[in-house]
Amino acid sequence: MNYPAWYLPNLGGGLLIAIIAVLHVVISHLAVGGGLFLVLTERKAVRTNNPALLEYVRKHTWFFLLLTMVFGGMSGVGIWFIISLINPAAVSSLIHTFVFGWAIEWVFFIVEIVALLIYHYRFGKMDHKSHMALGWLYFIFAWLSLFVINGILGFMLTPGKWIESGNFWHGFLNPSFLPSLIFRTCIALIFAGVFGLVTGAWLKDADTRRKVFHQCARWMYLPLLVLVLTGIYYTRVISAESFENLFHFNRESSPFITLLIVSSVILFGAGLFTLVRTFQALQKLGALLLVVICFGWMAGFEYMREIARKPYVLYGHMYSTGIRPADMEAVNSEGFLAKAKWSKIKELSEDNLLEAGAEIFRLQCLSCHTLDGYNGVKNKTDQLTERGLVAMLTGMGKVNSYMPPFAGTQEEKRAVAAWIYYELQGKTTIPPELYRADEFPLEIPPFNPDTSEYVLLVWNDLGMHSISDNEKYFSFLPPGNTLNAQLFKRGPLPQLISSGVTMEYSVEEGFKNPSNHSMFWEYDSVIYGVDLPEGQGLLGKGVDGIMDAEGGVFAAHLIPVMPYMDNSTYNPYPIFTITAKDESTGEVLAVTKAVAPTSTEVGCRNCHEGAWAWNNVSGMSDLTAINILEAHDRFNGTTLLEDADSGHPRLCQSCHADPAVMAPGVPGVLNFSSAIHGFHANYLSGLDQDACILCHPGRVEGNTSFFRGRHNEIGLGCTECHGTLEDHALGLLASQSGMAAAQRLSRKLEPVYASSKEEIKPRMPWLMEPDCRSCHTNYSIFEDGFSGTAFNLWAPGKEALYRMRTDNHGVMCSACHGSTHAIYGAINKFGLHRDNQQPLQYQGMAGTIGTHEQCAVCHTHEMITNGHHRNMINREFPAAIVE
Amino acid sequence: MYDSIIPTADSIPVHWLWFQGLLILTFFIHMILMNFLLGGSLLTVWDLLRGKLEKKASGSIPTLVALTVNFGVPPLLFVQVLYGHLFYSSSVMLAVPWILVVPVLILAYYGAYIFVKQTDKAPVLSKVALVFTSLSLLCIAFVLVNNNTLAIRPDQWEIYFDNPGGWNLNLGEPTLWSRYAHFVLAALAIGALGRAILYRFSKIKKKEKDLQIRRNLKIFAWITLAQFGVGTWFWLSMPSEVWKNFMGGSLFATAMMVIGWIVALLILHSSFTGRLSAAMVLGGIEVFVMVIVRDLARTAYLNEIFRPSQLESRGEGSPLIAFLLVFAVGLFVLYYMIRLIFKSKAPQP
Repeated sequence: MNYPAWYLPNLGGGLLIAIIAVLHVVISHLAVGGGLFLVLTERKAVRTNNPALLEYVRKHTWFFLLLTMVFGGMSGVGIWFIISLINPAAVSSLIHTFVFGWAIEWVFFIVEIVALLIYHYRFGKMDHKSHMALGWLYFIFAWLSLFVINGILGFMLTPGKWIESGNFWHGFLNPSFLPSLIFRTCIALIFAGVFGLVTGAWLKDADTRRKVFHQCARWMYLPLLVLVLTGIYYTRVISAESFENLFHFNRESSPFITLLIVSSVILFGAGLFTLVRTFQALQKLGALLLVVICFGWMAGFEYMREIARKPYVLYGHMYSTGIRPADMEAVNSEGFLAKAKWSKIKELSEDNLLEAGAEIFRLQCLSCHTLDGYNGVKNKTDQLTERGLVAMLTGMGKVNSYMPPFAGTQEEKRAVAAWIYYELQGKTTIPPELYRADEFPLEIPPFNPDTSEYVLLVWNDLGMHSISDNEKYFSFLPPGNTLNAQLFKRGPLPQLISSGVTMEYSVEEGFKNPSNHSMFWEYDSVIYGVDLPEGQGLLGKGVDGIMDAEGGVFAAHLIPVMPYMDNSTYNPYPIFTITAKDESTGEVLAVTKAVAPTSTEVGCRNCHEGAWAWNNVSGMSDLTAINILEAHDRFNGTTLLEDADSGHPRLCQSCHADPAVMAPGVPGVLNFSSAIHGFHANYLSGLDQDACILCHPGRVEGNTSFFRGRHNEIGLGCTECHGTLEDHALGLLASQSGMAAAQRLSRKLEPVYASSKEEIKPRMPWLMEPDCRSCHTNYSIFEDGFSGTAFNLWAPGKEALYRMRTDNHGVMCSACHGSTHAIYGAINKFGLHRDNQQPLQYQGMAGTIGTHEQCAVCHTHEMITNGHHRNMINREFPAAIVE
Repeated sequence: MYDSIIPTADSIPVHWLWFQGLLILTFFIHMILMNFLLGGSLLTVWDLLRGKLEKKASGSIPTLVALTVNFGVPPLLFVQVLYGHLFYSSSVMLAVPWILVVPVLILAYYGAYIFVKQTDKAPVLSKVALVFTSLSLLCIAFVLVNNNTLAIRPDQWEIYFDNPGGWNLNLGEPTLWSRYAHFVLAALAIGALGRAILYRFSKIKKKEKDLQIRRNLKIFAWITLAQFGVGTWFWLSMPSEVWKNFMGGSLFATAMMVIGWIVALLILHSSFTGRLSAAMVLGGIEVFVMVIVRDLARTAYLNEIFRPSQLESRGEGSPLIAFLLVFAVGLFVLYYMIRLIFKSKAPQP
């Protein structure tokens, strides 16, 4: 932000740093351990009076000098150069904090190289004692050089108390100083042994060669135990977040952990060849192979250290973007472009959106990423839509703290997403069009207030049932709509009929063959473990059938109706005709109609790419499903996509418990609602109800618009009842707060409808839902204390849920008021009164059953008292109806 | 306009004058070594072309590479402490040539060893290596001149926006070629002086020794004479507000420039008359004075933009004390090691 960025669109600064660093670090460690190797081998040669061994030391010194002093020393300067080009802000901070540390290191280094030059040039020209004194001085100062560099490197990962104090010594003698110093010293000794093999393998005398090889083997293996123990110690002093980034929740570290393990096994496994008598050619080859492995080993270690340091370049002080956490608030409010000195664009507009996006990317992201090369963004983002990219930028540094948070305003975030999507990916988005719903005709069954004996009320339990209709890859919502019915015999004291009646239901024409429009019956065995006849739902119901009597209610559970009609028309509101018949005589007692709202407008594609699967109208495409599984596999180390490709798609709830489908899940795994809301809340925060309708079929311009009841008409949205996605997720996660995943998902979420996370009550999905009486205190509309939100005021128990609740006479709330999310009078874009058929049938008025004191619908005459609950008659405000 | 793109500088641990002093001191040492190296290697190439290659004068090139680079580290460190925000910015602008300095330097270093070690075994390879090393050093010097001039010209930095890929050599800089010529000539002059010193301590016949000393001192003198012209070219190619500083604009700057001229005249006298000790001392003084003049010129360039005195000091003295103690220990150990060389005898067979 403070500095210009070197534009390396395809090579990448990170790769350049890695190449130079790995080469340098191997040699610089050798420079330390090799010094001790030289002087101790010289001492041995002198003590054993072994001229051949002494000659080996002399030759090895020359090899050592060329490697460490020339390449090691110069590549050290190279690291300094390259990091100051890629991340000048970080280098500036290191230089200005530790200038005298670097200066001290320089003194050590100067003594080191002078000692080595004299040691080399005066080999055989000085007495052994003096010559070895030089060797010892070389080693001591080389190790002191490591001592200083180690402190500064450790500071970058664990700055300790420096963060608060800014004190040089706090930063230098940081928490990882000691384990790192011991660890690196061990590496130095091991490398000394490995590189000793190289010159050793070229010795002509077999006996000397054998002795040298045995000695090198001791150097390789003796420090090993200390190395391992210190490595464990090392992982204990890094922050919990660093540890997580290394070993959990982060697939980025896996290749490097693998590299470290594999190269360790090869190094110390193949290294045993040093103890075996074999051909010199094989010894030469083996020595060179081990040297190569050293570089792989070091790459593994250094990359792991790098990953542990993420998302910072200087832990806790400066992100890898070069921006300090302390500056984030100002950058986010004033804008990155305004704050970045090296941006030629200072103000964002629709005209320069893409150009500004490129500019922000260049200045903020290029220090780690390329466009299409090493760590390229093009490849990493091709599974996301423009909207998904915005979400990804919002979620950076939250669920997975490996990435630093995006610095900038919402509009700047949008600019980067747009640039990646349109320019980098070269994709185009078809502007979202208002879905033009067909208005289907209604035929409302007759009702004669004077002669009809029964009133039959039928409703769907949830007001909408969504289907994840790509079972080829996974399922979390099978086709399964539930209709409930109550039958009342009219009279001054109406009678709730709960037996002696056959309640038949039948879907309208066009919806009779759901199996023609769904893969559900193809994968039911694999996903649900049951082989159902085509057209039959999970609880045995088809689209035509008989409801079961369940106390005062008749119900047909999980009717597998699809929103796709046989004539290729999309209609998410299929109408069922329900007929109550006398069980003994078969006489028709009452007939009514109700919608079974069902939608495949699952909004995953809004972020995860892919077109609509069904006639370009609705449904989850293969691409969307694949992208979702890939993301899940990447984040969680699962193999869901591979499983699905091999014909074994999974029910999400097979791991994630869910009361909605009565799935117990796997212990220790978040329940489905917690996981899906908790994860996505991190990516879709700050969006109020726009976050809800990205996934749920509630968009006004969408193909379902399921929120069609009275609350919608008066301007309420999802969040007034459920809270924002962040609130909603925090409540769910709080119920599983003991789990590491819950803590990880909730730590960066900020509540909106509560002043703190602690205020949010833990909530079990489906069993704890908003309580209508939170606002409708004493069944009033506003006069008795409308609080403005129902969030966090959950209904006390399952029986108190709106969809389960009855009055004192057993009349269910939904029977008169309609389905959740479609409270009478509702407005349905597939036909104004599609949801209001029963109010129109029984009272000719699209409102609550009995509204405007039409008590006669059931009671056959007017009532003078509130029978079911307060505020039914003599209301201050007349209830609204849909004309 | 360019004010807005100049990065904000970080705070420093102690008063800026500490770094200023350390910068001048260490840069002086680096310049001496660099001149010995660059000038020495170019003069060796010249010897080669004349068919009069002298191993005595050229065997120290690899060691000089090591010392020059390692004594280049502290001035690079201290210049980053004082001018880092300018220096990093200019480095990014010419990032490609700047990072190429490192591999070129490594190859040049190996080239120097090939030259020395393979003179007899592979003479052609050895000569090629020498030429490669010398040309590499010239290239590195050129990149350094580009970077250093760009760092003090933020008014030129908008070139970055047209080419952020790191290829912006500062070729439009009016002082570029005169500065480069001035520095390379200085390297040749001091390099010749260095060779004269080397011959002074070499174990060759006195007649040959005196001849070589006189010859190299003459080279030193002639190039110093040429520097009057090239130096003036360099001086006058600077902006008027800079060069006028050395013509009465600033008393101190003017005094330094005058001292530089006087010392140069004295160098001519001592070198043409073959007085090595005097030439040696005067050459050292001249380099030191020029280091100060260079620093004053930078200050004048940045006059309206930045002064190191503006840097906020954190008043953190203990690391400085630690450095000074370590520095003293380092000097003692260096002394001890050199003493060992002279005290120690070859081991008995």
